[in-house]
Parts: sequence; structure tokens; C-alpha cells
Amino acid sequence: MSRTRTAEETKTAMHKVVAEMYDRIVKGEPPTMTLPVRTKTNIGFDKKLGVYKYGKKQSVRDATSLGSAKQLLRTLHVVEFIEEMLDAGKSSTLREMYYISEGWGMGKFGSQNDSNNLAEDLEIVTKCLREDFKLRPEEDGARMIGNLTLRERNRRGEWMRINARDDVGDSGYGVPYNVELEKIELLEHDIDFIMAIETGGMFDRLIENGFDEQYRCGLLHLKGQPARSTRRIMKRMSEEWDLPVVVFLDGDPWSFRIFASIAYGAIKTAHISEYLATPSATYLGITADDIVAYELPSDDLSKKDVEALNAELTDPRFADSWWQEQINMMLELGKKAEQQSLAKYGLDFVTETYLPEKLAELGLA
Amino acid sequence: MTGIAQKLASNQKQVAISEFFEKNKHFLGFDSLARSLITAVKEAVDNALDACEEARILPTIRIQITKVDAQKDIIRMIVEDNGPGIPQKSIEKVFGQLLFGSRFHAIRQSRGQQGIGITGVVMYCQLTTGRTTHVRSKIATEPTAAFVDIGLDTRKNKATKANAGREIWYNEDGTGKEHGTEVTAEMKAKYQKGRQSVWQYLRMTSIVNPHAEIIFTDPDGERHHWTRVTERLPTKVESIKPHPHGIELGQLQRMIAESNDLNLNHFLLNNFSGVTNRARKELCEAADIAGTRKIKTVKGDDIRHLLEAFQGERVYNGLPVKLLKPPTNCLSPIEELLIKKGLSKTIDSRFVSTLTRVPSVTQGNPFQIEVGLIFGGAMAADKPVEILRFANRVPLMYQQGGCLLTKAIESVDWRQYGLDQAGGRGVPKGPAAILVHLASTNVQFTSEAKEALADNAEVMEEGRKAMLEMGRGLRKHLEKKKKMAKTKEKFELINDILPAIAKKSAEILERPVPELSGSITKIMSAVICETTTEWNKQTKHTDVEIILFNYTSRVRAYTILATWPEKSGAKIEKNGTGGRKEALGVWAWKLESLQPGEKKVIAYSLSGLERGDWTETEVLFRGTQDVIGATKMDEKFLQEIRRQEQIMDENGVDSPEAEDEDEVVAEPEPEKKEVPKMPAEEMVEPTVAPPEGQRTLFGGDD
Repeated sequence: MSRTRTAEETKTAMHKVVAEMYDRIVKGEPPTMTLPVRTKTNIGFDKKLGVYKYGKKQSVRDATSLGSAKQLLRTLHVVEFIEEMLDAGKSSTLREMYYISEGWGMGKFGSQNDSNNLAEDLEIVTKCLREDFKLRPEEDGARMIGNLTLRERNRRGEWMRINARDDVGDSGYGVPYNVELEKIELLEHDIDFIMAIETGGMFDRLIENGFDEQYRCGLLHLKGQPARSTRRIMKRMSEEWDLPVVVFLDGDPWSFRIFASIAYGAIKTAHISEYLATPSATYLGITADDIVAYELPSDDLSKKDVEALNAELTDPRFADSWWQEQINMMLELGKKAEQQSLAKYGLDFVTETYLPEKLAELGLA
Repeated sequence: MTGIAQKLASNQKQVAISEFFEKNKHFLGFDSLARSLITAVKEAVDNALDACEEARILPTIRIQITKVDAQKDIIRMIVEDNGPGIPQKSIEKVFGQLLFGSRFHAIRQSRGQQGIGITGVVMYCQLTTGRTTHVRSKIATEPTAAFVDIGLDTRKNKATKANAGREIWYNEDGTGKEHGTEVTAEMKAKYQKGRQSVWQYLRMTSIVNPHAEIIFTDPDGERHHWTRVTERLPTKVESIKPHPHGIELGQLQRMIAESNDLNLNHFLLNNFSGVTNRARKELCEAADIAGTRKIKTVKGDDIRHLLEAFQGERVYNGLPVKLLKPPTNCLSPIEELLIKKGLSKTIDSRFVSTLTRVPSVTQGNPFQIEVGLIFGGAMAADKPVEILRFANRVPLMYQQGGCLLTKAIESVDWRQYGLDQAGGRGVPKGPAAILVHLASTNVQFTSEAKEALADNAEVMEEGRKAMLEMGRGLRKHLEKKKKMAKTKEKFELINDILPAIAKKSAEILERPVPELSGSITKIMSAVICETTTEWNKQTKHTDVEIILFNYTSRVRAYTILATWPEKSGAKIEKNGTGGRKEALGVWAWKLESLQPGEKKVIAYSLSGLERGDWTETEVLFRGTQDVIGATKMDEKFLQEIRRQEQIMDENGVDSPEAEDEDEVVAEPEPEKKEVPKMPAEEMVEPTVAPPEGQRTLFGGDD
């Protein structure tokens, strides 16, 4: 499933945005840019796609305040910049674009965050992907280890066959920023499921303990909030190989959010949820009941943690009863625990006791 | 001087100078080594300022402090002025004679209400170092300067003079000095820095004497220069006679004893302000003394009865005798513009607001409160504001907490005006300095130290009112700043960003650049006012330009009002747009129609001002639609202006006797102080001719 557009299609889509501004000025009105509201109040479950998508709420960015007007001007500069790249067959990172904006005078970005958000805005309004815009993220993708084989086209345009167990070192196979068909082909595997892991320490622990071979799984290091390419490759493996995905995270409100972005779609990228989210993914742990059941060493929830949990209670993605129960339980406990707190019972406890027990509940071990 | 004089007068013995000094040093200003130096500088500088003021000379005062012997704390002070100079024969009298009582009849605002004057400095130097004070003075009409060493003989308690002579006085640049006085004194003292220092005293003095140039060389050789910011000398004050409400028994006794009047009727009419012929009759009746009684026979209980009649304890027809208020032209306020200049030259800031209240009266004494507030700039934002207190242009540097002027500041909740203040009480915090000046014919202090003003409900109320009004000014300024920032943003939007959006979108779409006016109207959707107030170097006028843009889709109509410093003598010139005067210092223009997209300019110039006098014009409007950059007219504001205007007009009427109905006794002309022909003589007048029966510390009449 590729949604890649041609340069001409991308330009046409961007011109629509520009034309909205232009036409408003011609009509004697302040120029505007219309885009969906990008908060949790405007995401809803799309039954057909099985993920959360932006709803119908639209916000209009109009040039009646200096901030919005500057944002519109920046958008025009970005459009122009993308057109130039499309014409020249080049690409740039978001960070490079941020620095290039230094030359845009009044249209320059205030911060890197500004430029990232604007690129997303443009994706949403044009229904293009940033790959279509030839914009690359700075963040690197995940690491993978396990008996699975794929084909990657390298810089010289040659296809390389890579087995993520036999052809890689201890750091595993590095997932590139582009994991679309023109770059990556999934060939074959001999595993039963994929396990996504939040922290590098836990990822390395499972490798050292030989967990991937013992339990016939592919291990994937998320590196915190997973990059788009990480989520995309999980989705592809899950769909193309029909593999279950389990997610093993810390037990805190932020981990819940990571899971939501993997399984249901992130609020910021709800315009492409069907492309990034893996609806079949399962939350393995650490759950609120794990903290109690395993008597894990825990920390008190901070004020911010509590705020985040409360916000999650009203987030439509956590509306089901299991999540409500987990969130409320954590609030009641007032505690959170890290993955590595399992080491309380020794280095092998996680691979010999905790994970087997949790996987057994899911029928995976 | 009243306090000291009375103390001495009640003392029959000749007081030994050293003993006198030791006993009274705390209120003479010589209680610590640091303060002694400040007091010495203060006495010398006060004399210089007073002399120049009397002679209508713009003062230039040089002060030099050097350490003679750091171990023994010996310091040399040199103060030089460009005053009229003192004739040779008067020098020793000015510097060597302590006189009291001479000013009892001259009720007016004067600096010399503190301490015992420069004589105290001479005494202090002699007592602490054994050294004489060297004085050099030159008057314009003589070719050479006179010099003399003044000291005192502590055994005989007499002033001494030595080494008198004459010389040619050269300036630093080798030219001959025309006139002036120079005092060189050596004393035991300490030079220190900070809030209570010679530097601070001079800085404060310079604020309230913007007409003076002050050059100070400190012991490290560093020169501090406070420039002259106005050529205008303080207005000359008229002396007034005492008002019966403000008189004490001792004073009344003395006045009667010294009177040459024929009888009580004449005495009352000739020697007091506020006593009309009707009041004269009623006072006599209330005191139960015949008006025709020879004044020499009014004694003892009579005097007490008269005082009781003055104070309303004895009544006429069951009521206290009504008296007119004393005239207030005996006060010399610094005035708003000059305080502003004084503050601006001394403290770097963004906003200065000053206010001179109309004169008021307490216990028969006219007084007037002036305040100034300076905000922003380099001042620290997290410290208490600097409080600058003055009484009759004299800086008050000690006992800040106990002073009425401080209490007036503390009584205001400054939080509503944009300053920090814990609990809405106490000295506020913020990048600001607050100045308070009390001008009065009779400044009441908490103690003989004369550093803190005593509580007085009327003065407090006036001070508080002034603070509130000034606070409102500060709030308006801060609000305006915020609004201006918003307006500036809007202008950036329509002048820079919008055209860029139009151009870029046209480029990308390869279409013509669209016309912007429609979008601009929709974006601004307001009437905007921009005001500039600028000094014009060529014309020496202050040019004001008020520009109104109608960025709405409808025709608008307004009355635009602008403030200008009419009180300070400014005139509106080259006002092509006409209009009319709305009130004191407020001009109004009627704009019948301002079309959508139309821009109208009101431009005029202000004459009669100096550079920096007027830097911000407040623009107000009457009309329904808001004007960004102008304030909606609050009619109460106009009422207050008109009220003040009325009070000023009333004060302008000089003859308080106007309401008098019967004409029995011919009214003596109010005695006006004569302009002295010889300024130099005038300056020393109080000491040159001591009234009979009064004595000096230097050689009494025993």
C-alpha cells in the first residue's frame, strides 16, 4: 500500500492551499488557511480503517493577527521551497529547512518545532506525505533483531538482502527513515510475533538473554516516542506477514500515550493514522496491576503525571473499559514503575518469569 | 530656626560654644563624621543657591572634597559659587555670627529653615581641627576679591578674623572671576558613598534645582557633573505676614513687644494676613480687649486671650472668628516641567510623570505638594523604589521611615498602578523613583534633626491625592505601551506581512499580485491613531502630529482632544486644523467625517517650551467606535481639570480683602518685599542688621 504521489500531484495539492490565500485577498478578505483542529477533541474512531482519524472540526488560520499572518507567509515559503526541491530532484531534512528559513526574512521560523508543525500542517491540508515533499525527519528509526529477512535498496540503488539476526551486529538492523516499497521489501520470516520495547536497556537485556530465539520473536527498539518510520514498518510487518505485535513499555502515563500512537494513531499524525497505526497491537506491560502483582519498585506520580493521566481519561483512544480501569488504578496507586524495575528479582526474571507469564495470557507462549 | 532660637533665648547664661555644640550636635547635623560632611556641604551649597536666587543669577557651584589626613579623618571641603559675592565688611558677619529671630516676621518659603547655617560649619571646623575657615569673595563692582580666615575664640566665645586681604581672583582658565564666593574648610569628617552621602545630597539638590549647574569632585578625583537644564530661575517668593491660625504664644508676645503700632486695631491689621476689618473688630471683641488699647499696654493675660480668639477658643457671637486664608503666592513650587527635567537628567528612564497640586492651607500656613514619578530604564525592578524627599527644595536624607512624605507614598495601593507592593502596603517595589516635595512657609519636622516631616492630616491628604493621580498616569502609560505594541504589530502585519503573502502567493500561482486595500480594512477593522511629539531644532518648537487612519468600512466621526502644557506657558502655533480650547491644557478638534481608508493629519507646534519639556502628547477621543492609540474621553477627567483651573484662578486674585464689606479703617497696602538694589547686601540682610534686643552666639549683649 503506497500513497506516494508524483511531483505534479504534490504541486497541484499545494497550489490549492496557496490559492485559498490568494483568492481571499482578491475578494478583499484576509487570507486564510483551513485545516482540521489538531487536538484530542477532534479525533474519532474510523470503523472502516480501525484507527483514530481527525474529525470534521476545522480551524481557520487567518491573517488578522501577526502570528497567524506570519504562519501563512511561512507556509508560502515552504511551498516554494518544496517546489524547488521537486524540480531539482533533491530532498532535505526538516532541520535543514529550518536553517534555510533563515533566508526567508519575515517568513523565517521561530524554532525547529515551528517548522516541524508547519510541515505536518501542510501534509494534513494537502493529504500528501512529507516523503512527497522530499522532507526527511532528523530522528533515526528503530533497531530490529530477529529472524526476519528484508531487502533494502542502498545509496547506489542496489538491493541488499539482510537477515536481521544473521547479518547484523549486536545493535541490530537500523530502520531507515523511508520504509516504503521503493526502499524496503519484506521477504520472509521465521518468527511468531513482534515485540516493541521502549528502552534500550531492556532491548539489550532481551538480546543478551537470547529471548528472540527462545520465544521466536522479532524485537524492536522504539527509542521512546516512535518515529513515523518505526510505526510504519511495524504496521507493514503486521499486515504483510500477519504477525501479532506486542508492546512492552514502562508503566507510566507517557507509555500509555506511546502505545496509543502505535495502536490507534497519534493525535499529531491522525491524518495518516491508517498508514502508521497497527490496530492489532497489544499492550503487554508494565500495567498498573503489574506494579501491585509483582510488587515492583515504584516512584510517586508527579503533578505532571497526574495531569497526563487525567487527560487520558477523556481521550477517546482510551475510552474502553480496560484502559479506564488501568488509568484509574494508577491514579489510585499514585505510583509508576519502569521496565527495568523488574530487575529487582534478578537479571533473568524478565525473560524467565515476567514475559512468559504475560505472553501466556495472550496465548503467545 | 525657631527651635534653637527659643532654646537659646530661654537660657540666661552665656552658652559656651563647645558645650552648645556638644549638646546640640544631633540637631545641628553634626552627630556623626559622615553626616557632618554632608551638613557642611549642605550649608555651603544652600547659601550659594539662596544668594544666586536672590540676585537672579543662574548658579554654577563647584564642590571639591579631599582627604587631608585619612588616618585622622581630616577632610577639606571647597565650595565655590558664582553668586553676587559678599562685601568685605559683611563676610565675618555671614560666617561668624549666629543670629536668631530675624526671620520671624518674614513668613515665606526658604531653604534656611534648617540648622544654624554656615556659622555652624565654621564652629565645627574650629572645634574638631582647630583650624579657621578661609573665605574668599568678590562682588562685581570691585576689581579684587576680599579674603579672610574666620574662626572663633572658644574661651571668649567670639568670632575671630585673621589674615584679611585682597587679591585678584583667577578662574581655572586664567580669566578673572567676576563675582562669587569660595569657602575652604577643614574638618574632622568621613566621606562615604551610597544613599546617605555628599553625592546623593548633590544629586537630589540638582533634581530640585534644575537651573543650577553642580560640579562635584570627590576624594578619588572623580568629577560628577550635573548640568543646568533650564535657564529659568525659581519664581521670586513674596513674604507674607503670619496668619493668626499659625501663631504661637511666644511669637505673639515678641511681635507685640516689638510693635511700633499705635493700638491693637493697627497691630492686627498691619501684622497679619487673613485679618479683614470685620475680623479685626470681631477678634477684639472675642478677646475682650478694646481695639483702641495702646499696644504697649497689651500684656500678660490679654495676649493669651488674643491668642485664644485667634484659635477660635474665644468666640464672637457664639462662633469662632472667620479669617481669610493666607495668600499662597509666598510659595515657590519647582513646577511640573522642571521636576521632570531634573529627574530626567539625573535618572535614566522611560517614563516621567510629575504633578504640582494647587496650594492649600494648614493651620494658617500655605503649603503645596509636588510629586514626580520616574519609571523604567536602568533601575532595578526587584528593589523598593527610590524615594526622594524634599522640603522647600532641601533634600531630606535621613529618617525616611518616619517621614510624612514616605507615609503618603505608603498609603497608596500601588499594585493597581503597575508596581509591586506586598499586601498593598509599604514602599512599593519596581524600577521607579518617587519624588515628593513639600513647599511651605512653615515646615513641621518630627524632631530638631529636621530630617522627617511631622504628621499633618491636610498635608498627608494632599500628598496621597497627588500620588493617586500620578499612579493613574503610570497605569495609563503602561496600558498605552501595551496598546502601542499591539498597534505596531498590526501595522507590521498590513505593511510587511500581508504584501509579502500577496506577492509570494501570486508568484507561486503565476498570477498578478492582488490589490490589498479590502483585506487591510478587514484585518484592521479599527480606527487607528498615531501620535508623534518631537522637538524641532530649527524652529525651537515642539512639533506634534496626530494621524488618524480609518481602517473600517464605514464613515466615522470623532472629536479628537490632545493635551498640551498650557500651565507651563506653552502656546499652540501653526495649528492648521483649527479646533478650539476645551479646557486648561486640552485642545479639541472635530472630525466630521473620516471616510473608509481615509487618513487625516492634525499637526501643530508648541512654542514657549524647551527641548525635552514635552515628549508625550496624550490623545483622547469622543465617539462611539474605539480608536486604537487614543483614550476614550473620561468626562470626569475634564471636570477635574476645570476644578483645578478654577482654584488657580481664585488664587490668582491677589487681594484677599475683596470680600470685605465695611470700610472703617484705611487698609494698609500689603507690604511687599522690595527688590534689593544691592543683591550682595540683600543676601546678608538678616545677619547684618540684627533687631534690637536680639543676641548672637558670638558675643552676646550681656
